[in-house]
Amino acid sequence: MEKIINSAEIKELFKDSSDIGLRLIKISQNNIKIHIFCVDGLVNTQLLDEAILRNLKMDPYLSGCLTERMLMDYLLEAGAYHAFTKEETDYDNLLRAVLSGMAAIIFDGEKKAIIYDLRSFETRSIQAPEEEGVIKGAKDSFIEAMRVNTALIRRRIKSEFLVVELLCAGRLSKTDISLVYLSNVADMGKVAMIRDAISKIDIDNISTPAFIEEYLVENKRSIFPQIMYTQRPDRAAANLSDGRIALVVDGMPFVYILPCQLVMLMQSPEDYANHFFVGSSLRFIRYIAMIITLFLPAFYIAATTFQSQMLPVQLALSIQAAKQSVPFSSAAEVIGLLIAFELLIEAGLRLPKAVGTAISILGGVVIGQSAVAANLISPAVVVIVALAGIAGFVMPNQDLSSGIRVSRFMLAVLACVGGFLGLAFGLIILILHLCGLDNFGTAYMSPFVDADKRDHKDTLFRYPIRFFGKRPPDTAPVNQTKQN
Amino acid sequence: MKLINLLLTIKTTKLIKPIKLIMPLKFLVFALPLLLCGCTNLNDMNRKELDEINFIHAMGIDYEEGEYTLSAIYSSDSGADPEKGKAGKEDIMEASGATPYEAFEELRLKSKKIVSVANTGYFLIGDSAARSGIKECLDFISHDETIKMESLIFVTKEMAAKDFLGMGIENEQTIQADLEAVEQKQLRLITRNDNTLINLLNEMRQGYYSLLIPYLVSEENAFLIRGYAVFDELELKDYLDMDTSSGINFVRNIVRAYPIYPEAGISLSLTFSNTKLKSDLEDGDVKVRIEVYFETMIEEAYADVNIFTAENLSRLTARQNKYIEDIIKKAADYSAETGLDIFRISRLVENEHEGEWEKLKGSWKESISKIKYEYDLRSKISKSFIY
Repeated sequence: MEKIINSAEIKELFKDSSDIGLRLIKISQNNIKIHIFCVDGLVNTQLLDEAILRNLKMDPYLSGCLTERMLMDYLLEAGAYHAFTKEETDYDNLLRAVLSGMAAIIFDGEKKAIIYDLRSFETRSIQAPEEEGVIKGAKDSFIEAMRVNTALIRRRIKSEFLVVELLCAGRLSKTDISLVYLSNVADMGKVAMIRDAISKIDIDNISTPAFIEEYLVENKRSIFPQIMYTQRPDRAAANLSDGRIALVVDGMPFVYILPCQLVMLMQSPEDYANHFFVGSSLRFIRYIAMIITLFLPAFYIAATTFQSQMLPVQLALSIQAAKQSVPFSSAAEVIGLLIAFELLIEAGLRLPKAVGTAISILGGVVIGQSAVAANLISPAVVVIVALAGIAGFVMPNQDLSSGIRVSRFMLAVLACVGGFLGLAFGLIILILHLCGLDNFGTAYMSPFVDADKRDHKDTLFRYPIRFFGKRPPDTAPVNQTKQN
Repeated sequence: MKLINLLLTIKTTKLIKPIKLIMPLKFLVFALPLLLCGCTNLNDMNRKELDEINFIHAMGIDYEEGEYTLSAIYSSDSGADPEKGKAGKEDIMEASGATPYEAFEELRLKSKKIVSVANTGYFLIGDSAARSGIKECLDFISHDETIKMESLIFVTKEMAAKDFLGMGIENEQTIQADLEAVEQKQLRLITRNDNTLINLLNEMRQGYYSLLIPYLVSEENAFLIRGYAVFDELELKDYLDMDTSSGINFVRNIVRAYPIYPEAGISLSLTFSNTKLKSDLEDGDVKVRIEVYFETMIEEAYADVNIFTAENLSRLTARQNKYIEDIIKKAADYSAETGLDIFRISRLVENEHEGEWEKLKGSWKESISKIKYEYDLRSKISKSFIY
């Protein structure tokens, strides 16, 4: 049975909640009783007093409103001094609006309510992004408030085609999600697919990013990120103008960009802030770093355990001399040190900053010097693992970095088992897996795997901006012209 | 009935399609790694830790009294510094057998660790082994692709390789480093090393021109290349002197640098050289035209006269042409005297006169002495930046 808007029922529903305000107001001018319904702490009480309550008590024109309907019409037209006003007839929508911070006037006789957007909760100020910081570029970043984030995007795209569609997910949390896209650029088929995917999220509470991400990615078993996030409004705006779709989730200080491709995860805002040659060099180094972090430990294991002929004789002799007193196999050394490295990272992240630094120093000294001096590991392995670790941190996207770190372990284990055969086996599996990933109709490895749509101007290298005449055909199939 | 038929077709096509896709995929996943990493040899799948391997840095091959002796240089444990990654002192290990491979197996038995020649960069053939036939010496290492591509082969002049290496150890030389220095010096003078095993094996397959392998001599605690050891039918015949060997390098067009001393107090260094060979056949006689164009730079000039005048430079150019022509002539004369095709003229004639070569090749040995050479040397002297 459909519920009707009724103050008594709401009062009963929230009888144990101290922060819910449901106040009866008798309008003296015409003797009509209404209820103000809001959540303490989420509404701007000063604005509520001045824009709504003050008028209800003082406005002489209210005496002319003889019925609730007349009063509602007057308030909706001009009676309350607030811009965002809406009549609500649905009970669930009313609850959702009030619980998200809006204020409502309930008219029991009419079984309707007027909603005023008076949300004003404490938010963090806009600060510089922690992850995607640039030297030359904008310094603002998204915060936890969805509306602030959509405003940050709107500030950069002042187009009438920018659509900010409000969706909701989470049975209990009723988390607001804004689906943002450019209606004249984005593929509406993909917009519908994403809208559909969000509508299928059937969970009580969206508390962490994974609750959204795991519902949106198609291949849930893949350790590689298939959804990109950014803390930077300029980056979100750039992707929107390329025809991609942004998801702004309330409570998350970043914006999701869909569909996602591997090349996007290797791009950094810094690439576009510098001269194209500098940007291209930095990006190319990033790809080299990816190869180093992924394959170097496995290559070392394979070369030192199976195919030692791969090493130049001087290097082989040097490694051999360094390894002579170490009781463990090369594979055990590398995998052990990789695990120790991960432990150090985890310890550094979880502990308070001051203790975290101490842990880093302790770990560095123990692993870098003491373990070598105690002949537990050879210096070459320290260099290999450190190089792989540093190269891993070059990745601009932390999700990608984590995926690569896990793959690094798998490749190292395969190299332990089969040397270069195992490594080649792992590499082929990895390539097959990556090529098989699909993200809302776009290949994850696009444009490398697209035979007919070879747009490599922003992949391994960043071409000069004048070459970016077209939008990616996958994301903007209709309106492709970016610049003339 | 029609519906059942339709369902069956759908079912079978749905099944067949994935099977058709999965089979090549499985094949790809399992076969490609094998092909990519070259694991056709199952020995590559044996796990062996680096510290369990005796890396042979250089290996000498000798033949004496019907027995082959291998002398392997390796890093012993003594003197090793694990903290600095410094390898131990070099030592020599010897083993003998009826064939080089038998000797190698003996070496494996004698060694405390697994013997690996995969990283061996240098193989030294002793004088007697080279004279008895180089094919037998190189065969046992010719089956390893890495050795084939990377290792260099040298002959030890008038000396057994084990003595040559032994002397180096006695003199406290670092054999590996000294041989690397030899390789570097070789590459400073010529544009490519033709004494890799793969090159030698290719050259050994034909029987018309002589095989040339650089020979090493030991002087004042250092190894030096003094020229080519020349082979006839894969047996060592002679050691060529430096000038004759340089003449061969000019004709082979592999000279990178060469010092020229045209007059007292004047030294030039070659900066560029290009040689073209052209052959002609006249009544069955082979005529070869050697065209050399080279450029030099003045390195030293403390003569009394000003050599930078047009006249003097022209004189020096003529002198340097003569200088190079003489060394080429020396090599040509040697070829004519001995009947050894050290310039690989047979290959030139075969390429340029395919039809006539078929008639010539039967008596090629006799034809070598009758080859008429024509020389056309042109050069230019670049002034140094001092003037």
